Amino acid sequence: MDLTFSDQEIEFRDELRGWLDANRPGEEPRGDQDAAFEFRKQWQRSLFEGGWAAVHWPQEYGGRDASLMQSAIFFEEMGKADAPLPANALGLILAGPTIMAWGTEEQKERFLLPILSAEEIWCQGFSEPEAGSDLAAVKTKAVRDGDDWVVTGQKVWTSAAQYSKWCMLVVRTDPDAAKHKGLSYFLMDMEQDAVQVRPLVQITGEAEFNELFIEEARVPKENVLGGEGDGWNVALTTLMNERSGLGFFLQTRLRLLLDRLVEDAKANGRIEDPVVAEALGEMHVRTETLRFLAYRGLSIIEQHGQPGPEGSLTKWLWSETNQMLTQLAVSVCGPAALTEGEAWAHDLLRSRGNTIEGGTTEILKNIVAERVLGLPRK
Amino acid sequence: MRFDFTEDQHEIKRTAKDLLASRSTLEKVREAAEAGEYDAALWKELGELGWPGVAIDEAHGGGGLGYVELAGLLEESGYALLNGPFLATALCAAAISEAGSDGQKDEWLGRLASGEATGAFGLVGQVVPDGASADVVVVADRESGEARLLTGQGSLEGLDSIDPTRRYGIVEGGLPDGEPMPGDVAAAIDLGCVLTSAELVGVCGRALDMTVEYVKDRKQFGRPVGSFQAVQHRCAQMLLSTEGARASTYFAAWAADADRDRLPEAASLAKSAASKAGIEVTASAIQAHGGIGFTWEADVHWFYKRAQLDAAFLGSSAEHNRRLTALVSP
Repeated sequence: MDLTFSDQEIEFRDELRGWLDANRPGEEPRGDQDAAFEFRKQWQRSLFEGGWAAVHWPQEYGGRDASLMQSAIFFEEMGKADAPLPANALGLILAGPTIMAWGTEEQKERFLLPILSAEEIWCQGFSEPEAGSDLAAVKTKAVRDGDDWVVTGQKVWTSAAQYSKWCMLVVRTDPDAAKHKGLSYFLMDMEQDAVQVRPLVQITGEAEFNELFIEEARVPKENVLGGEGDGWNVALTTLMNERSGLGFFLQTRLRLLLDRLVEDAKANGRIEDPVVAEALGEMHVRTETLRFLAYRGLSIIEQHGQPGPEGSLTKWLWSETNQMLTQLAVSVCGPAALTEGEAWAHDLLRSRGNTIEGGTTEILKNIVAERVLGLPRK
Repeated sequence: MRFDFTEDQHEIKRTAKDLLASRSTLEKVREAAEAGEYDAALWKELGELGWPGVAIDEAHGGGGLGYVELAGLLEESGYALLNGPFLATALCAAAISEAGSDGQKDEWLGRLASGEATGAFGLVGQVVPDGASADVVVVADRESGEARLLTGQGSLEGLDSIDPTRRYGIVEGGLPDGEPMPGDVAAAIDLGCVLTSAELVGVCGRALDMTVEYVKDRKQFGRPVGSFQAVQHRCAQMLLSTEGARASTYFAAWAADADRDRLPEAASLAKSAASKAGIEVTASAIQAHGGIGFTWEADVHWFYKRAQLDAAFLGSSAEHNRRLTALVSP
């Protein structure tokens, strides 16, 4: 057991801190979504120029070959600096690594650099109205027409679609094959009339997500990732990357939120109430436990080459804790916290999505029960 | 960073698990609980193996390893519900190491390390594991930061608690008469929290394993009850609580060895997480076992009872939560 960083890890962290000191991200504009996106795009360009856009990518593609631990440090430091997520987060975290794993040389050559530089933004077209947790149920279909595929269907929960040049699209290319087997994974150009993006206004009043209506969009056969019919396996690569490293970013954000709540409780005197002090302490335990679980999960992957149970548990614990913490903030700060435009009001509402997006808590519990504890499926 | 045991530490833990699986079975735990006596032969053997002294320094006859190794052993003794005064003796040794005078260390640490003497440790006004039967007892007062060392069996009143797998004593009133202790009493209490948390992690681990085994096997409506989602989600929650308590406890054990500045926070994080997990996981184990889990015949209740006593010992989850808030917001 050694919970100190190695010399290389400290060197990596200090270099990053030095860069962050010289390149502060500044304040993200609130209330204007387009301006906020542009701000995050500028931030990614700045990261790109400093060589920090995707530390976990291999050097040959512009990354730093960062270890899992360095990647965790990167996200922790970004969280602590209150940096925004880069505009092309989905490209950097999901599309890039999936293309590296499955792409042809031409595809890697074509797509990776513009992902890194934020020149081309990516979105993820997996979920559909009838295929949420059950990805293998996608209905969006593609039929072959000469050298192209012609795609028709609907996608939902597509964040950043309105800003995206490309979409990671899971479609059904063989309607007769068994559920998982008839799928393919396309890299679809969003800039065509056949693709319509409609913002999906969420309970916060913002529209982070969109619906995609696809009516005979064309995807050239060079833009199939993996082979025809490999869509399920390619999509699993994307999903396995979904929770990597990012958890550390979310954990540090959670800790900043807790620190803010403690400050609020000190300012209004509620911290003197033992019930409030106890509830704040419980949030402290959950937040630090999350960090320990995340680090322990990484160590176990590094030692044994495969993940232990921790990986499935961190997203679950984070999302529940974020909901509990924002609810506690309302109770500590009183009805004023529920005023439109208040940060706590926004965070409270936004947190309801946490236990749904990226795998509902119910699905995560199923995964833990079946794959970690080995309980029988029915 | 390596947030996991080294190979040597894993080996110590594995060996302990194997030994206890054969020498401290639940049948033995039950016999000892119902007879009101510990297994003296097993205690002698553990003493020869150096368990009670694993974290005591070599100059005082200990193994000179650390609290990480001791926590690993305590996790296994919790898993087995070991019928012997291992936790209490380890707590007492840690308290004397931190808070004792040179003379107290010379007099007691070697005998505790070998298992020749047994010890206990607790707070004023509270229940003390193995307090009535120990040869030496340390009683501490968190408020004043003082502690007293009491010698001779029977220096504390005995107490029949709901957990008959362990002998308990009680400290009534204020600080009892005894030898004053000049050292760091707060650190002694924090170490006690870490070590008790390690036992609780083992208790949770066993309650979870027993439950998973049971729900895979038990059939109702023609299928294993473990295939029902309601039962699965309960078991998943048990795992989350157990792993959270485990990660916090390992962090605290490491801090005890390597980063004392963080020990107060780490000890409270661990004790809060482990106390809450202990109560919830063992209660869930009873529920998932159905009617059989409520009978004296089934063994799950021993774990529930131990968890209740350990959770209350040295501060409940709620008390440590308040302490954490006070630590970040003085």
